[in-house]
Amino acid sequence: MTEATYPQCRIVPQRFLKSDSAQRLLNAVVRVEGVRRMIINGPRLPATVPYGPARGKPNPHPDRKKIMVGDTEFELEVQVGGLILEVEEKGVIAEIRKVCDEVLTVPYTLDEGTFMKPVPTMSDYAKYGPDADPRLLGLADPRSRKGLVIIQGLK
Amino acid sequence: MAYKPQYGPGTSAVAENRRRQMNPGVQLEKVRDVTDEDIVLILGHRAPGSAYPTAHPPLAEQQEPDCPIRKIVTATDGAKAGDRVRYIQFTDSMFNAPSQPYQRTYTECYRFRGIDPGTLSGRQIVECRERDLEKYSKFLVETEMFDSARIGIRGATVHGHSLRLAEDGMMFDMLQRCLLGDDGIVRYVKNQIGEPLDRAVAVGKPMDEAWMKKHSTIFHSLVGSAYRDDAEYIEYIQRIHSLRTKYGFMPKE
Repeated sequence: MTEATYPQCRIVPQRFLKSDSAQRLLNAVVRVEGVRRMIINGPRLPATVPYGPARGKPNPHPDRKKIMVGDTEFELEVQVGGLILEVEEKGVIAEIRKVCDEVLTVPYTLDEGTFMKPVPTMSDYAKYGPDADPRLLGLADPRSRKGLVIIQGLK
Repeated sequence: MAYKPQYGPGTSAVAENRRRQMNPGVQLEKVRDVTDEDIVLILGHRAPGSAYPTAHPPLAEQQEPDCPIRKIVTATDGAKAGDRVRYIQFTDSMFNAPSQPYQRTYTECYRFRGIDPGTLSGRQIVECRERDLEKYSKFLVETEMFDSARIGIRGATVHGHSLRLAEDGMMFDMLQRCLLGDDGIVRYVKNQIGEPLDRAVAVGKPMDEAWMKKHSTIFHSLVGSAYRDDAEYIEYIQRIHSLRTKYGFMPKE
């Protein structure tokens, strides 16, 4: 676990974002200097129908699609309801607010606080072991088989 | 003196809308046209045009026991034909949807016959004979009790009633059964359990915010009218609460 603590903030739009708006917001936010880590939050959009009589059948969803952030392409698996960001220093949050004002077409709130888990849980220990990289903590669902996405192409 | 139901307390618009929906004497405003075939497609219980599968022979063809109740109660069309029991389930957004689970159940009990409603916090299911169901579903979809954006017909995977709306005003649906087209019309592309439909079923344009506020049956202090503003409703609920609390002491008013 790292000793240093970094400021964190959370962007919560008043409406769920469609994939296009989410892509626009993410691209604007990652270009702000000093963003260390980021989580995209929201209700999950499963690839197959999870339960009911149609269980297991494919679930085409217009918002579950590949998006491009920086030079990195990844699949959006949630309907974007919020972003949690960890930044290098407090001044970056003001920058993020400015970017949100420009990009978001719906009202939003930007809170400062602690939103990522600071210490590993039992599940994290089981998944990543005793010498886990502290930067991984709280970034991905430990039950998920997919890992993190490293955004590239910003320089 | 004949009993005349009051349907519910309250002086607010929400209370009035609740009474309007419940009162079978009030003819609800018809706001959209949906064909019988569209309803059958969304329900997904049988192919459009196919015969109704039966659970038992028609009542006319079978020997019925000599029962006084059967003489009093006329069977519904579905029961007479021996139809299967099938369902429709609705999810109503908390953001001023024109109906909500308890309201639906009360309304259906006052207006329909031969039904078995199930009321849950975020969804409401009603079961009845198939041909009755199609008739009732048409009423529930065509009248002011439905809005294409904030009410979903969802047989399974209903999550979304308490979540924020999407940017385009649609309620969250994990299976995205209906889509808002560029022309502003909402179309169902999957049936209520999430199986893709052969053709999209249009259910009309979403109503605007002013209409939703005017027709809402949900108290919501942030986006609609607050429960606390309706003094009569508060008085009524406090009376019920007080009487049920004192029940063991044989309350007398």
